[in-house]
Amino acid sequence: MTYEVPRTVVDDFYKAYAKRDTKKLGAMLHDDVVWTISGPVEVLPYCGTHRSKATVLDLIIRVVPSIFRVISYVSEAMLVEGDRVAMLNRRSAQSNVDGKVISYRVANFMRFCDDKVVENLSLLDSFDAAEQVLGHPLTLHTRHVASQGNVVAV
Amino acid sequence: MSNHVQRSVVEAFYRALSIRNMAALSDYLDDNVHWTISGPVDILPFCGQRVGKAVVMEMLVRDSPALLTGRRFVPSAMLVDGDRAAVLGKLTATKRDSGQAISYRIAQFMRFRDDKVAEYVSIIDSFDAVEQLLGYSLDVSDGRSPAAEGNLVAV
Repeated sequence: MTYEVPRTVVDDFYKAYAKRDTKKLGAMLHDDVVWTISGPVEVLPYCGTHRSKATVLDLIIRVVPSIFRVISYVSEAMLVEGDRVAMLNRRSAQSNVDGKVISYRVANFMRFCDDKVVENLSLLDSFDAAEQVLGHPLTLHTRHVASQGNVVAV
Repeated sequence: MSNHVQRSVVEAFYRALSIRNMAALSDYLDDNVHWTISGPVDILPFCGQRVGKAVVMEMLVRDSPALLTGRRFVPSAMLVDGDRAAVLGKLTATKRDSGQAISYRIAQFMRFRDDKVAEYVSIIDSFDAVEQLLGYSLDVSDGRSPAAEGNLVAV
């Protein structure tokens, strides 16, 4: 029989994740979970591929909070089909460096096995997130900007 | 009356979108469709929010093809749940100006109404996409003194 993740399990995981309830999260992550977050790791150190429950929990407990404090995590869409889940959320957080509030959308595509997350891929508007975390626009080469045809250097 | 969208409708929409079959696409867009692609619109002109079928169709015809050729979207996951669909895939294309191949992930979330897309939100790994489209690594230094960081020591 093909496994289908119950919607109640997904709801419980989402609530635990939004609240950063590490005890409940620990019970809902597979020991061999693979957790990938797209983005430039030199600006957003939590990006990259993280393997195992212990590593992912460390990411949630230590790495992310070292960069910012999550203020809210609002669900815009949650789809459940078979053993897979797709979520679209808006994350708002406060930078630990300068106190500025940053906000961006995050898409999560997850696979569950025996009611535990075994795989997650997070996609975010990483350019926007990087600019917000850095606190300034990213610099483009002026020669390239001028050659775009729609920007003029004066 | 069920508001659920059938997988066959979502798949047909994607077939039309992937090959830019504009006549078929027109049938799958609600007149008041809201179409949002995340990303820096000054670098990736196809990014931003557009409202209305005509505006979205114009973007699909013009903006993406201006930068890229041989555009191909390969989905790796498609979920259909109620009136919504979500697709994860990879876009591959060739830059018109340099002939360089590019590839980046895209996540798409759609809400359907009467078998037409009423809302579309696309999240792309925009940092990676911009670096590939520009052809160089972005400068991410923040200009702060390393000593002020607190976790670096100058010796």
